[in-house]
Amino acid sequence: MTGVTVRFGPVAALSEASFAAERGAIHALVGENGAGKTTLMRVLFGAQRPDSGRVEVDGRPVAFRSSREAIKAGIGMVSQHYSVIPELTCLQNLTLGAEQGWWLDTRSAAARATELAARMGYEFDWHAPSSGLSPAGSQKLEILKLLWRDSKVMVLDEPTAMLSPADSDALYASLASLAGEGATVVVVTHRLPEVLAHCRTVTVLRAGRTVEARPVGETTTDELAGLIVGHEPPRPVTDRATAGAPMFVVEGLRVRGYRGDEAVKGASLTLHQGEVVGLAGVDGNGQRELFQALVGTRPAQGRIELQGETWVGLRPGARLAAGLRLIPEDRHREGIVEDWTLVENAALGLHRRPPLAKGRLTDGPAKLEHAARVADRFATRHGGLGSAIRSLSGGNQQRFVAGRALAMEPKVVLAFQPTRGLDIDGTAKVYAAVREACRAGACALVVSFDLDELLEQCDRVVAVCGGLVREPRPGLERDRREIGRLMVGVEA
Amino acid sequence: MNLALASLITLSVPLVLAALGGLTSERAGVMNIGLEGKLLAAACATAVVAVQSGNAVLGLLAGVAAAVVLSLTHAVLTQSFRLDHIISGMALNALALGGTNVVAKAVIDQERSLEGAYLPVGFYWAAAAVAVVAVAVYLARVRGGQWLLAVGNDPDKSRQMGLDPVRVRYGALVATGVLCGLGGALIASNAGSFTDGMTAGRGFIALAALILGGWRPLPTLLACLVFGGVEAAQLQLQGTPVFGAQLPSEFWGALPYLATLVAMVGLLGKTKAPAGLGRA
Repeated sequence: MTGVTVRFGPVAALSEASFAAERGAIHALVGENGAGKTTLMRVLFGAQRPDSGRVEVDGRPVAFRSSREAIKAGIGMVSQHYSVIPELTCLQNLTLGAEQGWWLDTRSAAARATELAARMGYEFDWHAPSSGLSPAGSQKLEILKLLWRDSKVMVLDEPTAMLSPADSDALYASLASLAGEGATVVVVTHRLPEVLAHCRTVTVLRAGRTVEARPVGETTTDELAGLIVGHEPPRPVTDRATAGAPMFVVEGLRVRGYRGDEAVKGASLTLHQGEVVGLAGVDGNGQRELFQALVGTRPAQGRIELQGETWVGLRPGARLAAGLRLIPEDRHREGIVEDWTLVENAALGLHRRPPLAKGRLTDGPAKLEHAARVADRFATRHGGLGSAIRSLSGGNQQRFVAGRALAMEPKVVLAFQPTRGLDIDGTAKVYAAVREACRAGACALVVSFDLDELLEQCDRVVAVCGGLVREPRPGLERDRREIGRLMVGVEA
Repeated sequence: MNLALASLITLSVPLVLAALGGLTSERAGVMNIGLEGKLLAAACATAVVAVQSGNAVLGLLAGVAAAVVLSLTHAVLTQSFRLDHIISGMALNALALGGTNVVAKAVIDQERSLEGAYLPVGFYWAAAAVAVVAVAVYLARVRGGQWLLAVGNDPDKSRQMGLDPVRVRYGALVATGVLCGLGGALIASNAGSFTDGMTAGRGFIALAALILGGWRPLPTLLACLVFGGVEAAQLQLQGTPVFGAQLPSEFWGALPYLATLVAMVGLLGKTKAPAGLGRA
């Protein structure tokens, strides 16, 4: 790919970007949020028409007008949020758009599917609905989808964003074996250690331009990080806060899950003033339900208290007024209203508080000023505060949501995967800001599936397993092995 | 044949055809409140051509064609022009209501003496039975059915998988037109002529049956039979005293609509609509 330019209105998402990948290896494409990584790959996949530039596959120039043409030419893409349709079965998802014939012979399709799965060492119940798949399962299904379509070029956008470390390693092992069979694998990622460990070459994009492309062996994490942000990356904060008095107390919390079963079975947890606590755990152990119960969107039994004031029976609005601030998991569904402007989204949830509120109305100029502050907090890149937040890239939306959560004197910050889709710079800044808020008298609970991130950034890490919160033994609050054991339910 | 059973079938089959029409549309992600208008247009076209040509087959074809044209208009408005699905459906219902009124006044009233030629209702019954099985098999076993479900659940992801949601939906809406056309032609054939607003909300009852049936073919068929049964029952019960009181016939006439309402309220939030319903 050479000289690729894509414009969205006045904003150039890509200007003269280039990218090359040779067969039989894993290549990394790295860059900050909004650097244009996903856009570049969408051009390759025919999902985005470039304004100019050339794309060649196997030395032949191509110009795909749709994903269908790209798929036909042997290019496959796994997007960050997966393209598994939960209402269809695993087999239907696998074959969708590449069925063997007009009549669906499920038996022979399932046989071939099982064969492909066996090649990768996977196992699937092909007739089960795909809604039951874990993130790792979805990712495996996506890889099999590429194989089903005989893809020769495989693009994976943030493939490990939702995977546990063990699943990530397994994924890279699969990708390596595919590359060994002659596939060209391109991985778009934020996680530099993965790049160093598994990829052959790395291409760095910054602000829509290719700034570097070289073999991985000739570079280091620090150098890459510098190239990505264009200046020295901020060091992760290492000074740990000294915890103050107990501030936010949860005791014996019981919460019913989505299916009516008990997802949280009497969890207890205490956040001290000034403390950032990480909640580690494998996805699906009750984190979501616990989080929602604390927010007030899911009924719960037990004790929830902020500085002695009970929160049980309090509506989410009242909890926000009491100082609760959120960085929700799914920014599209829970964090923002996509069609609203940045100004409106900045005020969302805080609109009843002065200075944003003026009697029963809201104060326009104050909202504008507030939005500007929120956007500046993490250097959200945007095309004007009056434009719809939909126009921002995913990472920039997340920065904005984080900025909002830390505005206006937070008391308790609840964050669910706050750095999902964020780059190094963004991640460090989000945690630094949470920490700063805590130093000013708040406390924070961060839920993440990335144990390393929590260990690096939090004062203390507790594990959740099977709906129970388990505290590590004294002195081992940040011990990787100890918490890893608690996460999988091994008794200490 | 047992009279009650015959009455049940007669009243249910138009609902079945219309509800299946709604099913192909809504499972593909296109909201369709315009079933009523399509039924009405088809009934009118069938009656008019039946009177004019005296040919039963031509009448049926005209009915189907009218419904397909309306359905494709819905496709053009919602898919190519991205108009809101509800608004488009309402507009087409209004168009059908007014349009059939004009056409019927212009053509049929002056030739009221003429009896049109209609296909025997048994043909429609058979068609409905075949349609239920065909739609069920198509969705479960045919490539096009898989595409239809995918597009109806998530058009964006489907596009990523190389499908063309707009094209799939155009196809689905042609099927909607054909099925509603059959339903409308049957309503005209049952009555033997066209009268203004003769579909009497059956398109909406069919939509309710579709929702009650959870957008699945066989449960939808059952729901149609229930609604058709209530309609048949009310005809039987007309004039029956209740606790010694003579109820006005309007009370009985309202019964099917009341039953629909009760079913919908009782069901609120319990069935799951196709995830991509109404999404571009």
